Amino acid sequence: MKTTLSYKILIWTGIAVLLVWSLGPIYWTIASSVTPSADFSTRPINFFPQHFTLDHYSRLLGVNIARIGGVEVFKQFRAALINSVVTSVAATLLCVAISAFGAYAFTRLQFPGRKALFIIVVATLAIPAYAVLIPLYQIMIKLHLVDTYVGVALIYVSAFLPLSLWLLKSVFEALPIALEEAAQLDGAGRLYIFFNIVLPLAGPGLTAAAILTFLGAWGQYLVPLIFSPQATKPLTVLIPEFVTKNFIDYGLITASGSIAIIIPALVVIFLNRYLVSGLLAGSVK
Amino acid sequence: MSVVASGNVANKRGVGFNADTTLGLLLVSPIVITMVALVFYPMGRTVWDSLHRVNPMQVGTPFVGLENYSRMLSDAQLATTWGNTLTYVVLAVLAEIILGVLAAALINQIKTGRQWVLAAVILPWALPGVVNSVIWLWIYQPGAGLLNGILVALGLPFENHVWFNDRTSAIIAVTVVHVWRMMPLTIVIVLAAMQGIPAHLYEAARIDGATRVQMFGLVTLPLVRSAIAVAMTNATVNAFNLFDEAWVLAGASLETRPVLVQIYLETFQNLRFSYGMALSVVVTLVSLLISLVYVLRVYRNTRFD
Repeated sequence: MKTTLSYKILIWTGIAVLLVWSLGPIYWTIASSVTPSADFSTRPINFFPQHFTLDHYSRLLGVNIARIGGVEVFKQFRAALINSVVTSVAATLLCVAISAFGAYAFTRLQFPGRKALFIIVVATLAIPAYAVLIPLYQIMIKLHLVDTYVGVALIYVSAFLPLSLWLLKSVFEALPIALEEAAQLDGAGRLYIFFNIVLPLAGPGLTAAAILTFLGAWGQYLVPLIFSPQATKPLTVLIPEFVTKNFIDYGLITASGSIAIIIPALVVIFLNRYLVSGLLAGSVK
Repeated sequence: MSVVASGNVANKRGVGFNADTTLGLLLVSPIVITMVALVFYPMGRTVWDSLHRVNPMQVGTPFVGLENYSRMLSDAQLATTWGNTLTYVVLAVLAEIILGVLAAALINQIKTGRQWVLAAVILPWALPGVVNSVIWLWIYQPGAGLLNGILVALGLPFENHVWFNDRTSAIIAVTVVHVWRMMPLTIVIVLAAMQGIPAHLYEAARIDGATRVQMFGLVTLPLVRSAIAVAMTNATVNAFNLFDEAWVLAGASLETRPVLVQIYLETFQNLRFSYGMALSVVVTLVSLLISLVYVLRVYRNTRFD
């Protein structure tokens, strides 16, 4: 069908609207984060920052803080940033490792209860987190794991393991078995084959599983709100705390929001292919 | 714990299993331990405790049967939150599916830069829900907010308009944030299905003289039907689980409070643990039931011919 000019214009107008809808709020956040607080009170508002400042970021990161004054939040913010990175990375590594071992066992090894176990584990995808939250809280109190990295990371692992396992099992199943059989004939052991043949081939699948787990852990709110109240408080719990009843510091909110956006944005920009493949595998439950 | 878990499974088989079996059990044992300790046991505990009175402020945990469940029927606050959640589900699913399918069709039409458009569209989904919520809190802000700024720039009387003073606009405001975050999922799922439609079908339709609108209605839509059903299931479950947006934008306000926030308040502020657990059980069942209905419909409607 010949594409007329008016049809092309129609399509690209639609795409433009879609882009403004998706990126507009993010643009506005970044623009506000470099706007001096004084400019927030100008009316009508400016859609582009009239003055540029990094003061909000300085307050958050504790750089040159004496010059600006105000509430000292940088210690909390730095700790929260570290907490977010530590818990998300730990949960991702642990989750992908455990599910890779499991997925290999489920695809290549025979053991009793194999099918039933897989179905039961994957079925928990349908169980929402809050259905287990309260007993989990009691367990974590008993184990003294509330407000520890281990406790929160373990909860993330249990939450994201089924999806990761499901994804990796389908990846391993699609790998050519001939290579593994050849290695077996040459006398290679199961674990040797797993580490030297299966894992390198499954790279894209492992990446997809890691991305989904990482983004999921990075964005968690309800779980750390309950399980990481103080010492291990992540960014997602800290940022809404800048919203207090009397005063909302929009400079801090938009600057901290921009920082929390950076990592997911990098993932989407550079690893989008893996992300999309993971999303598709995960959504077809 | 690991010994118990793997030992149980091994015993069923008896002695004499080979190296592969041992290795298999060894490799899945971390999964078994994690899931039993952090999902299955707590899940069973939730159901069990919902039949008891568990309250850290009261001594003992007497068996109360279905009292926690029957109490829900006369809980006026709960009824309001159910109403809110259902409103969110209906509004969000409609918006995500209608707009998401249109967006997917749009992206499917372009060839240059499709990857970049897709990356931009996915971005809101990848961000933490609370960060999305504080972004929109700032956009909805009455004085310096972007929304009122745009409306005023268009000459409309929205100076200092407060969006959360009125229930209807507050619910819509929360829904918009949720849709902004979840619509990318619909777009990705439906777009993948659209990309899988063989080109010769469109070619045939073109020869038969179909217009673009007819092609969309007669070729594209029927073929992406099962993808839409999958997207609808996801959209429904996600809207059911709406928490971050409502909590950050409107706090505990009853006008916008979804069921999940109600569970959180009953449990961790009123400390009625067992009532919270009974609520969780009910919400889980409703959510599962709705997913099941979708799944069954898809299986009935999609024939492989």
